Amino acid sequence: MTAIETTLADRAQRPVTDHASKERRAAWALTAPALILMVVILLAPVLIAGLLSLTNYSLGNSGFDWVGARNYEKLFTRSTYEKMFVATLTYVVTVVPISVGLGLGAALLINSLGRFREIYKTIYFLPVMATLLAMAIAWEFMLHPSIGMINQTLAMGCGTFLEALWPFMAESCADRFPVWLGDKRYAIWVICFIGIWQGFGFNMVLYLAGLTGVHRELYHAAEMDGAKSAWERFRLVTWPALGPTTVFVVTISCIRAFQVFDTIEAFWPQGGGPNKSTYVMMFAIFEKGVQQNLIGIGSAITMLFLVFVMFLTLIQRWLVERKVHYK
Amino acid sequence: MAGLSIDQVTKRFGDTEVLKGVSLDIADGEFVSLVGPSGCGKSTLLRIIAGLEEQSAGEISIAGQSVAGQRAADRNLSMVFQSYALYPHLSVGENIAVPLKMRRMSGMQRLPLIGRVMPGARAMAQDIGRDVDHAARMLEIGHLLDRKPGQLSGGQRQRVALGRALVREPAAFLLDEPLSNLDAKLRVQTRAEIAQLHRRLQATFIYVTHDQVEAMTMSDRIAVMMGGRILQCAAPEVVYEDPDHIEVAEFIGSPKINILPLEISEGGRLNLMDRPLDIVIPKAARGVASLGLRPEALRLGGEDAPLHGQVVHTENLGSEVFVQVALTASQDRVTLRATPDQRAALALGTSVALNFNTGKALVFDADGARLRGLRQLNAAASEVA
Repeated sequence: MTAIETTLADRAQRPVTDHASKERRAAWALTAPALILMVVILLAPVLIAGLLSLTNYSLGNSGFDWVGARNYEKLFTRSTYEKMFVATLTYVVTVVPISVGLGLGAALLINSLGRFREIYKTIYFLPVMATLLAMAIAWEFMLHPSIGMINQTLAMGCGTFLEALWPFMAESCADRFPVWLGDKRYAIWVICFIGIWQGFGFNMVLYLAGLTGVHRELYHAAEMDGAKSAWERFRLVTWPALGPTTVFVVTISCIRAFQVFDTIEAFWPQGGGPNKSTYVMMFAIFEKGVQQNLIGIGSAITMLFLVFVMFLTLIQRWLVERKVHYK
Repeated sequence: MAGLSIDQVTKRFGDTEVLKGVSLDIADGEFVSLVGPSGCGKSTLLRIIAGLEEQSAGEISIAGQSVAGQRAADRNLSMVFQSYALYPHLSVGENIAVPLKMRRMSGMQRLPLIGRVMPGARAMAQDIGRDVDHAARMLEIGHLLDRKPGQLSGGQRQRVALGRALVREPAAFLLDEPLSNLDAKLRVQTRAEIAQLHRRLQATFIYVTHDQVEAMTMSDRIAVMMGGRILQCAAPEVVYEDPDHIEVAEFIGSPKINILPLEISEGGRLNLMDRPLDIVIPKAARGVASLGLRPEALRLGGEDAPLHGQVVHTENLGSEVFVQVALTASQDRVTLRATPDQRAALALGTSVALNFNTGKALVFDADGARLRGLRQLNAAASEVA
């Protein structure tokens, strides 16, 4: 009896297994192009960079020596690289919160407008669309110590009440206005300012998209429940509803902030700002790996950069799945 | 709890007038339904009462006090929304607690983290917790308090929305089509529960629906709205049996009332398809009119009955059968309510004769207004011969 049953089951199962294996082969065949591309253009370069970071390879050399973790050791001991970390982190920690906050604020204001929405959207989005390299040249003119319009505008405040209120003004009027791009105290903040100016329009657009997903009846419910001020409605309805958008916006802003390069390359093609105060990671990779042909150390910085970005992405995934997903 | 009065309220959106002078008085503890087809202005009226929308003219008073210029949050009303409008990031318990927190706690006490250590916050939180538990128990959602709205079924969400409305004691409850997102079975069940809740709370309820069955089964009074006006506001049975207007008669009742064309001849006598009826209307105005007959007013009759036709469709509901008859004399179809044991005589295609009780006949003039004070010529024989 059992024997018969087994044979019957066998006979019934065989075509099923055949079918399944055929299906599996087809599935592999169909995913193969995407898999191969991913390996060739994403995984392999990362792997190669990882390997190169352990060598002293230079482009054009016939051979190289394995140097172990010496490249990484340099990264964490030399003062140049300390400046690199300080500059990068200063930029990220300044630009991300401010550009996210401004993006949200601009989105809320534009969303509350009846007319002229499109005009404001376009104005705020313009710097995002513009080429940063070209914009940097415009900024360079504006920031020029003697003929730049920024210092000339500030100079108009000399002799007015502003001098009494603002110590910076008094000092500058007495002496001279700052050389924005040549002073190590100001250079990184100028870069931060341009980064915010350029980036917050992008965040605004993302927030505007997020705001369209907020159910209008929730605001009415909040009003009926006694939320009288705009702040209370924002806290009860808008901010929680924008949670997923915020996680995305913060992650994207962080990654973009880590990638800052164009402005620094445009302002100081040689050497990352006064006293290396704006020597950010991307510029360091470019300088070491491309300009000085030190592939090993360049790869090491690249690996570190990848680790930062990976870390941010993981945090984002975790937040999206755990915290802001209400379903 | 309080009564409510609406006085000559109009609402215009641009050039379109959505509400054309609506007046309605609602007594303390009354359950009034605003019912009408979509676009009749019933939801707009409710939102004007709530304060979410401003009227173009007219006045609303709650408990005898005009609420002109008062914003929704200050009107002390609770509302249940069609989409339930639960806060997705808050648990069920927190959702129900929101109206209490907003009204009882100060701004500082509501702050995250710091709020908890503010003076009086702990006692307040316990108080609110007790009230939330009480409301949850009343609606049997006590076991759901820790879940998020996204994890609940439609019926459960609906209960949470009700809980959030009744956790405090508002002057009145406003319900905007709260059952329209539920499936048919749950709707019937929730209908009964809302009616029970009203009896228990003794509160004023204003209920907006497009479903006349909901209005009929729950309300003390029904206000039938059409085209921005209240055509009739009365008890459900009055609206059904004694409608003021042909549109009210057509809207209330399922299946729909049968409307047949009438002619008024000399002396105010009515003619139905060239047959004189034994009814005379008081004002002897010649012209056309309409006769309204509920399906249950029709019955099978003999050869001398006034209406003849063929059975074209039957709907067997088990306890009763609705039969559609195409009349021979005109193109009209009428619906007849029959008992299940008459089913055999009402197969498709059968020729039938229909009789009706003239006492139950409703006559409307050419404009649709009801003609009252009908006189029957042969009072003894109310059956039309």
